[in-house]
Amino acid sequence: MLQISEPGGRPARHVTRKRAAGIDLGTTNSLIATDVNGEVRTLADATGAHLLPSVVHYGADGAIVVGALAKAQAAADPANVIVSVKRALGRSRDELTAGGDYRQYRFDAERDAASPAFVTAAGVRDPVAVSADILRTLVRRAEERTGEAVDGAVITVPAYFNDSQRQQTRHAASLAGIKVLRLLNEPTAAAVAYGLDTREEGDIVVFDLGGGTFDVSLLSLRKGVFEVLATGGDTALGGDDFDKVVADWLADQCGMESIAARDYPAMMQVANSAREALSDGDRVELAWGGASYLLTAAEFSELAAPLLRRTIVACRRVLRDARMEAGAIDNVLLVGGATRMPIVRQAVTDYFGREPLQDIDPDRVVAIGAGIQAEVLAGNKPAGDFLLLDVNPLSLGIETMGELVEKIIPRNTSIPVSKSQEFTTFKDGQTVMALHVVQGERELVGECRSLARFSLRGIPPMVAGAAKVKVTFQVDADGLLSVSAEEASTGCKAEVQVKPSFGLDLGEVEKMLKDSHEHAKADMAARALREARLEATRLMDAIDSALAEDERLLAASEKAGIDQALDKLRQAMAEENAAQIEERTEQLNHASEDFAARRMNMTVGAALRGESINVIDERTE
Amino acid sequence: MLSIADNYFSQFELPVGFEMDLDRLNTQFRELQTIVHPDRFAAAGDDQRLRAIKLSSYLNEAYETLKSPLRRAGYLLQLRGVDVEQVEQSDLDPELLFEQISLRESLAELPKDESALDRIDELNRATSVKLARRQQEFAGSLARSNLGQAKKLFHELQFLTKLQAEIEKAEDAII
Repeated sequence: MLQISEPGGRPARHVTRKRAAGIDLGTTNSLIATDVNGEVRTLADATGAHLLPSVVHYGADGAIVVGALAKAQAAADPANVIVSVKRALGRSRDELTAGGDYRQYRFDAERDAASPAFVTAAGVRDPVAVSADILRTLVRRAEERTGEAVDGAVITVPAYFNDSQRQQTRHAASLAGIKVLRLLNEPTAAAVAYGLDTREEGDIVVFDLGGGTFDVSLLSLRKGVFEVLATGGDTALGGDDFDKVVADWLADQCGMESIAARDYPAMMQVANSAREALSDGDRVELAWGGASYLLTAAEFSELAAPLLRRTIVACRRVLRDARMEAGAIDNVLLVGGATRMPIVRQAVTDYFGREPLQDIDPDRVVAIGAGIQAEVLAGNKPAGDFLLLDVNPLSLGIETMGELVEKIIPRNTSIPVSKSQEFTTFKDGQTVMALHVVQGERELVGECRSLARFSLRGIPPMVAGAAKVKVTFQVDADGLLSVSAEEASTGCKAEVQVKPSFGLDLGEVEKMLKDSHEHAKADMAARALREARLEATRLMDAIDSALAEDERLLAASEKAGIDQALDKLRQAMAEENAAQIEERTEQLNHASEDFAARRMNMTVGAALRGESINVIDERTE
Repeated sequence: MLSIADNYFSQFELPVGFEMDLDRLNTQFRELQTIVHPDRFAAAGDDQRLRAIKLSSYLNEAYETLKSPLRRAGYLLQLRGVDVEQVEQSDLDPELLFEQISLRESLAELPKDESALDRIDELNRATSVKLARRQQEFAGSLARSNLGQAKKLFHELQFLTKLQAEIEKAEDAII
């Protein structure tokens, strides 16, 4: 029996307060928030600016400049000014260059393509190092403003960040010398700041359109408990994409086929200014190459329509995962600078049938929420104030025979969570079981992200299907996964903490989700065929080994009947017709029924059983 | 102190049965999580933190089991000693199987564009109505301790829930 004492029973809190901070490490801008006279606020730099542009300039003299001054150099020195580095976390070189977003940079040829690094005037820097430079600047700001060293921080990440992106964010923090109290999902952080500020209760949607990512979460706020009901999003969609459609339009107007690498940062800046001007006016003049081009709000709205549609589709999926209707939502909270665009607000208003809240600064709310959670985790704030109950954003599962995925923890399951499922062996005498842990929504292994592989050894030799291996998935409150496997009769055990060496990149998560919807039907057909073949193979194997052992139990005519059914099934296996394989499997089953019954009476282990338990092979590659 | 109760219902101080007061379940769940969640033990030792994770996971599992009508039904049968994993031929009504197959076929035959949305809505509504009726019948069978009938209805609920998921997938493929 498990027992635990209430928090009151733990040792008295530290006498000295700890300096805790919340950090919003954004694609376009970053912020830091901490307690100022009993209230968590974002901190400004010496010029009064709260937003730190997430831009780093690496000078030829080795100087590293972060923020607005670096951003100002982007057009003049494009190769040495790193922008939107958050999009590069956890991605390979090919993925970075494919979209054209990183066309102005040189990548270090010495480095493995899986972990690319930028060649700058100040040396080679990988995305983790660049992120660390931004974090360092923020922490220095906090230390200058408060006169104290920062003891620990909560850093926010998009809800859809996968394990690898979360690990790289943590790594950047440790490189900057920051103790990470927790990684917190951005929409959840926003909801905390909003909920504690307004003391309102109900079901709210957080619509977070940042510079490079789009997250949407549905939370229920009651009595200080924030329960995430569902989360979703589009990991390759942000304000940058709205700039890009304007830049492409401008290039088209200028008669360019495509935007040259050298021109790219300057053109994106022109597009960005124009896009922001359209938030207040209904037309804007764009100057390029000595000429001027007019873009109206209506034209922009048309250019942006496909992007807006993607945000609304994501909202729809989240509502459905939580089994709620758009009309039942009590409030919609807009987060992220890109939600300042009137066309975004309009799309949200139309879909939810209500005006979204705009009274909280959409740029600062995430950092403030993170700062509040940091206060709690550092022990400065009585924990009784509020509690966060979060979910895992992507399904976690295990590979079974036929390259199928058995989902153990579906997406949007409350964490922490521990779930077990029983698996069994595929072959007679199998002593090793290879376990392959995957993340994603598809039904076939090849289309999900591989997280880890490990083997359970020392299973006593038994007939196929007789061993019972319990596989347990555990996800802790930080969202980290560990997996263990145990064989029931002998108690032999194996486990692994999942720390993927490489992970899903943002675009890949999106693609996987999209694919899983688009290919749902193809999956079903492919799955049916694989299952039919699997079932047939299992039966044929079982009959082969049964014949080898107990052929004497059969009359010659019976043996001939089984052989004939076996042959027909083998022929069917060569073709792609699931129904035919099933039919002939059934015929073989029928032909061998009496034989099986006779053996069943004779042997203790029933070779033809174990239908309801998934089987795993012994392959260990 | 919080300890693990005999079953999920008594854990949340709810009567054992298919009828569920979801508001009450949610309130109880939140109250208990407020006590055991690992964030409450951020400054505590490893031992306490590990126990917090275990208890919190247990509560999540209990909550999700009772929240879902299908999982709740399966759990109730399990409490009565019925093995719901073991499906017998006699548990399945051939007429129901045939109906399921034809429903799935009509779903697969729908055009893959927006013209199918009305038909999808219709299928969805029909399935929901059927689900609600079977749930009621299940509650009745269980109350009368007719476990054989209840198990049969549970498998019907399984089919209908799966069908509902496939209807949603079909809708996803279009929107």
